[in-house]
Amino acid sequence: MIRLLFTAFIVLQIGIDLAHSVTFFPFVHYGMFSRIEPRPDTVRLYEVTVDGMRLQPAGMAVYRWDMVQTPLEAFDRQTATNDFAFDKQQLRWGLQRAGAGKVYSLLKTNLDNTGDFPSWYKTYLSGLLHRPVRQLTVGKAWYRSADGRLVLLKKEPWINL
Amino acid sequence: MQYSRDKNLLLTVYFLFYFFVFFFFALDHRLLSQVRPVLFWYNRDLAELTLIGLGLPRWMIAHPAAFAAMDGLVFTIPASLIVFAARKKRFSRPLGWFFTLFFALYILLADIFWQVHLEPFVVYWLLSFCFLTNDERTFYRILRLCRYYFLYLFVSAAVWKIARGAVFHGQEMSHILLVHHGYLLSGDCDTWTCGMYRWLIAHPAYAQSLYIASVVLEASFLAGFFTRRFDRLLILLSIVFVVADLVVMRIPYWTLLVGAAALWVDSGSRERAIVVYETTHHENLPALLDLAASRFPRVVVFLQELSWQNLCGEGSPSDRWPGTEFVRQAPGSPNRPFIHRLFAHIRRHRCSHLHLSTLDNNLLVFAWRIAMAGNLHVSLTIHEVNAWFAHTDRSIRGISESLARLFFQWRIGHYTFFLPSMAARFQQRLPGASTSFIPSRFYTRGPSGEAASPDIPQVAARPSGEAASPDIPQVAARPSGEAALPDIAQAALRTQQFDAASPFTIVIPGSIDPNRRDYEIIAAFFESWQPARPVRLVLLGDGNSGYAKTVISRLQNVESTIFRLVYYAGYVPEAIYEREIRAAHLFWSPLRVEKKGSRDEPEVYGQTTASGLTADLLLNDIPALVPAGFVLSPPFDKALLSYSSPADVASILDRLLADGQKLSRLRQEIDSAFSFFVKENFTGAFEELMGSASRSIAS
Repeated sequence: MIRLLFTAFIVLQIGIDLAHSVTFFPFVHYGMFSRIEPRPDTVRLYEVTVDGMRLQPAGMAVYRWDMVQTPLEAFDRQTATNDFAFDKQQLRWGLQRAGAGKVYSLLKTNLDNTGDFPSWYKTYLSGLLHRPVRQLTVGKAWYRSADGRLVLLKKEPWINL
Repeated sequence: MQYSRDKNLLLTVYFLFYFFVFFFFALDHRLLSQVRPVLFWYNRDLAELTLIGLGLPRWMIAHPAAFAAMDGLVFTIPASLIVFAARKKRFSRPLGWFFTLFFALYILLADIFWQVHLEPFVVYWLLSFCFLTNDERTFYRILRLCRYYFLYLFVSAAVWKIARGAVFHGQEMSHILLVHHGYLLSGDCDTWTCGMYRWLIAHPAYAQSLYIASVVLEASFLAGFFTRRFDRLLILLSIVFVVADLVVMRIPYWTLLVGAAALWVDSGSRERAIVVYETTHHENLPALLDLAASRFPRVVVFLQELSWQNLCGEGSPSDRWPGTEFVRQAPGSPNRPFIHRLFAHIRRHRCSHLHLSTLDNNLLVFAWRIAMAGNLHVSLTIHEVNAWFAHTDRSIRGISESLARLFFQWRIGHYTFFLPSMAARFQQRLPGASTSFIPSRFYTRGPSGEAASPDIPQVAARPSGEAASPDIPQVAARPSGEAALPDIAQAALRTQQFDAASPFTIVIPGSIDPNRRDYEIIAAFFESWQPARPVRLVLLGDGNSGYAKTVISRLQNVESTIFRLVYYAGYVPEAIYEREIRAAHLFWSPLRVEKKGSRDEPEVYGQTTASGLTADLLLNDIPALVPAGFVLSPPFDKALLSYSSPADVASILDRLLADGQKLSRLRQEIDSAFSFFVKENFTGAFEELMGSASRSIAS
């Protein structure tokens, strides 16, 4: 029985690994930092300024800094993908192929995001920083690399509350 | 017991990690109720997609109290599971399932709402299955699967990097660092770590070396699929990986280390076999070997050559324990290769038990080896209770032994002692330990009526003045010294006359060591006492030391037609030792009841340490003269005749010499009391020592 389970696990894991971009918990990929990384022409960063002070990673614990950045990345992706339209389309396609097209119609309303990210982010940052946030600006900045240093190319405002 | 220990260990390690993870979630404002998200994200995980499709994330956003409920449950469910396990000594299957399913749900939601990243938490989820069972075999099977998964996790990471070609791309690490540390590099970059990142980015070859090293490290976990031999090393490598990940990548991946518990707990099966290690205290082995031979299909003894030669009074150890394998350390050969051989044998044959009959040197080496030996059941004979708890920082050796003892106190749960009082004292100091009293040997003497003739075999001892026989060079009789060598014929005649008078034989067993025994009282006593009939005094220990020579010289000076001294220069072979003891009428053990132990710790004979007398007593049914204050628990106490002064000794000896019936009655009483010391009465204690008789956490 154990051998069977183990074999099944390996088969499923290999299947998931071959699927590359898809996982099915607990079958996940451990392929972090394995994709060949071409030398980036530019590096895009989110610059968060709270009450006139730019937040810097050096002054924050690693996970706290993660919690400043990760929501921005996700929101950017959500915006850029029209609320993950491609994923929803794939889900619809998959269900239809499985003969469960009606299920998609039933689930459709569950799939859409309706929340107000900028307001939430401001409130969340206030909790994370343990102080009220009166003014929040988030900009996107592009840098180029020169001898291990990053040199600013341009900036764009993104969120301003 | 091993199962119970492993289960408790896993429970402790797992939930320490678990609560630390959620404690840091709270600290970094990452609990769901702290985040109170308004958006959910698609991470292309089918399980997450299912939850999104079912509408759970949307519903939770609309009902924020649900986040607080989830956070409450993430602490209360495992707390209930732990409390149940502690109270009932078993796991609740419904609670276990609830925890396993809930944990998966929480982690999936955390990933949907704030990108927790599922990878390190799969190990937590898989390990949680261990809390669903109270069956030993299932527990270890699950643990084995978790072990494979932990290995797979690293190997998979290496395979991805190799298969995608990143490891062969010379600029890979440099580019990763540039993108990954963009925020630091765009700022002041005035920390040493940021300076290091910048340097690595500017020197891609060095950066790529780190990348390749990480791939090699990850790939080395492949070895774990073929052997458990390197499991402890792999734990170390996983820690190195986590530290390097934190320093180079600023990724605190310590959460992953919970999986090392699956490597630490040796879930592989072992052959039921006991390996016994002994150095020089061979006299303490016989009972243990008798018991081991009757309870284990395979017994292997690692011991010194000298111990092997002296293990039995009669015949060879291989004849007495025919099924037992003896691995002998050649005289003069170093200890460490022998210890290495011992553990190599245990590893190769997957032996289930190791008993350290004596552990007085190389403590740190043993600690390291045992730490690397997996779920081997280790038991230990304690010779000195106080020394075992001694800690010193006065020397390198003292520090290393203190550290090793701390480890042993944690690692070894089963101890044996030669006296019940030692076991009791030890348990007071280490209440969780399992302590067993097993004598050094079983009582083999018949009733006193069957006593052997007290005549000393001629090869064993010689009266003074006779030359040593060349066929027994290690049993040197007293050298003639400066005195003129008497005529051999006359000496033989004197011996015959002395023996014909049936001398009363008093044996003083043990090394002639002033720290352990007070020989001053012996010498002073015989200088003043006039026995009523011939007395032979046997010093049954090495008489070669300077102190011994002084004692012997004093006693030689009082030799007469009714008092003879027998002593040995050099190591006394066991055959002769036992024959002397069996031929004796009385022991005299002038112990210094309070003495300094082997590590200068104060020890009390009979309470915190056992003298060799407890082993010697079991070779005969004769009483022993001991100083007042030396107390032995029943039934040993039947054999003790206490004295407070030389006058007491004289009184006891005069009565014994004058009244042969008194000695016979005493011997009958001792024989009757010592009939307790048979193997059958100690199988329970031995099973306890081997961890077979104890209760288990599981039902």
